[in-house]
Amino acid sequence: MITFTNVSLIYPNSNKTIIENASFSVNEGELVLLMGHTGAGKSSVLKLINGLVPHHTGGILSGDISVAGRSTRLMKPGELADVVGIVGQNPINSFVSDIVEDEIAFGLESLGVVPEIMRKRVEEVLDLLALAPLRKRFIAELSGGEQQRVAIAAALVTNPKVLLLDEPTSALDPIAAEEVLSILHRLVHDLGLTVIVAEHRLERVIQFVDRIILVHGDGTLELGSTSAILENSPIAPPLVELARTLQLSTIPLSIREFRKIAPRIESAMQELSSISPKPRGPIAVSMRNVSASYRDAQSSYALADINLEIHEGEIVALMGRNGAGKTTLLKAAVGMSPIIHGEVMVAGRNPTSFKDQELITYVGYVPQEPSDLLYGHSVKEECELADRDNAVPQGKTLEIYTSLMKIPNLDAHPRDISEGQRLGLALSIILSASPKLVILDEPTRGLDYESKKILVTNLKRIAHRENRSVFISTHDVELVADVADRVIFLADGEVIADGTTRQVLTASPAFAPQVSKALPHTQWLTVSEVERHVNEN
Amino acid sequence: MLKIRRRVITSSFHPLTWWLWAVLLATTLLLAHTRAISIAIVTSTLILALSMQRQTAGFHTFRWALRFAVIAFCFRMSIAIIIGVPMPGRTIFTLPQLQLPDFLVGIRIGGPVTTQRLLSGFDEAVLLVALILIFATANALSNPHGLLRILPKRFYGLGLAGVISTSVAPQAVRGIERVRSARRLRGQSSHGIRSWRGVALPVLEDSLERSIDLAAGLESRGYGYFPRPTRYRPDAWKFRDTLAISGGLYCLLIVIASPSSMIVAPILVALFVLTPVFSS
Repeated sequence: MITFTNVSLIYPNSNKTIIENASFSVNEGELVLLMGHTGAGKSSVLKLINGLVPHHTGGILSGDISVAGRSTRLMKPGELADVVGIVGQNPINSFVSDIVEDEIAFGLESLGVVPEIMRKRVEEVLDLLALAPLRKRFIAELSGGEQQRVAIAAALVTNPKVLLLDEPTSALDPIAAEEVLSILHRLVHDLGLTVIVAEHRLERVIQFVDRIILVHGDGTLELGSTSAILENSPIAPPLVELARTLQLSTIPLSIREFRKIAPRIESAMQELSSISPKPRGPIAVSMRNVSASYRDAQSSYALADINLEIHEGEIVALMGRNGAGKTTLLKAAVGMSPIIHGEVMVAGRNPTSFKDQELITYVGYVPQEPSDLLYGHSVKEECELADRDNAVPQGKTLEIYTSLMKIPNLDAHPRDISEGQRLGLALSIILSASPKLVILDEPTRGLDYESKKILVTNLKRIAHRENRSVFISTHDVELVADVADRVIFLADGEVIADGTTRQVLTASPAFAPQVSKALPHTQWLTVSEVERHVNEN
Repeated sequence: MLKIRRRVITSSFHPLTWWLWAVLLATTLLLAHTRAISIAIVTSTLILALSMQRQTAGFHTFRWALRFAVIAFCFRMSIAIIIGVPMPGRTIFTLPQLQLPDFLVGIRIGGPVTTQRLLSGFDEAVLLVALILIFATANALSNPHGLLRILPKRFYGLGLAGVISTSVAPQAVRGIERVRSARRLRGQSSHGIRSWRGVALPVLEDSLERSIDLAAGLESRGYGYFPRPTRYRPDAWKFRDTLAISGGLYCLLIVIASPSSMIVAPILVALFVLTPVFSS
């Protein structure tokens, strides 16, 4: 279905070869995962398949790529539209209509499908992706998972032979992600569709894929069966790392496979119960009966009667579905949510009373798009601007940044560095003002395992050594298991669970990390806990 | 984060309606070039946009256009007061005058401000505001994506450019709000001229990125590549579209017929601008 023959790619004004002499082929009806570090070139591979690279982005391509017998060299993406459908990283950016139904029909309109057939196809796809109840809604008003489904429907409606998806689950909560992936799985099995998915969160996709293309980042690609690639890959989901730690003979790809071969571990419960809870520091943030709305006082409540406390030196994770009110709650702590009633206190003061410069010494907030905070022309300039803005000695921000990131590229433009580095830069800017409370909104979007590890170490240092509070909202269960001391669970603007990470995560299967699903009787959450146990015994 | 709300699209206009309407009104405005007509158009477009705001997704942009209009008005007025050629009329107050070199005869900076000078400045400023409001209303009430679907294939490039340029404004507005709140998070004031760089740069980069994504989306879905595009649900030209357009047309005719009328014409123009309100 897709054949790469000696493909090399280089972008203009760059001396880094993205892909060098790659040859492989993907068969019809396969679900293939594209795996690799951020910036390794996964998106480039996807865009090569439908011709957006080099026709739309520029770049020098050698070798040949053929999709369903057509060469992307000779044909533009538009001419491949009837065989390849693509869903980009931010589907909201590439929607061309406001209404769900119109968006789905758009592809068919461009292809000139006659109206009778068009109506039937639109109905089929609406049913296939369970979008029929949403057909007349404004796309902008849908949740992230629903938007993702609309984007898939819009790509599928033309009956393509190949579907390409760039990080389809990165913005979704675990349940919405599961939904999207099982739909893909069904499409592959029912319609013989060929699907190529680029994804960082391997724990979500690995059980569905047939083969993996590993993008090494030095230009080489490796295609192999899932277990063969995972056996030696530096990037692996927690389940595979668990199998490696326990020295299992085969690499399990799903929880079911793991349980079949896993040994039983008995002593774990006692070990954990012997750990005494840490003494809590003084209260850093408190919310009393807080209700808030999204935009103004007239719209309905985003938060209803929230009561919570965050202590110093504590990492608290905020979880919940897309649209549960997480961002509104975080913004309440910087005085940026319209509070209807109730009281928010940060370090004993109402956050709306902080003046410009005062705010940053109390609360540091990294928004969902870290690049909103950045406006310098280079990383170095950005750090200098931050020193000036935060009124701290020259070089402090840069010092923090270099200690957070191993290999900082100081002359690069902040838009050109990887997602993980950008987050690190935003975090350094915030930290240089030494706030008492650090808030991060969805920090792991687009982060690979390595950048996530760096983030975890840094957050732990900020909280446990420097004794600041960290408040973090995320969909990433594995991150929560790694980093958080406490988890607060929101649903429809209400707190429905608030307890230690272990209590909350092991209580519900949907939000449980892989280790806890694999070894349910042990109450372990992370591979490192298992590793410690293995080393001790 | 957006609140999930079930919204029914009660009245939708043809994608071309508002742009035709805007062109008609702008022609009326420029042909008439009288204070009364300009004021009539400013007030009636304001009423129109505010009364129809609930039906549109793009209304957010309008508030920013209003701010822009106010700034444009103030700027034009202050230029009129400070710089200009001497004009007759009663002197209201006198500014200290700057001594200019001899070759700039006739132009002066500062000096006496007369009624005539103020009024002519006001006329220009109101005209500017009216123009801004006409197109802001059209932009707020129409759907940029709708245009794309009705353009014939040979205008493919035009449609692409049109969609990208009309969607940049609402995106930039959303971007401005996001970046301004991000600036507060960096402890920076988001007011005043000095903050422009911190706001403008990220917003521009962001809007550009989104536009490129949109263009890539259109391209990879075959827009403009296949010989005969079809329509899923054709936009019918309805009575309310005719009503809106004829309102604009009457305005033009009134101005052509009685260019010197000071009372009747502006009232009629204001009423005709408002016809779309009655149709929905």
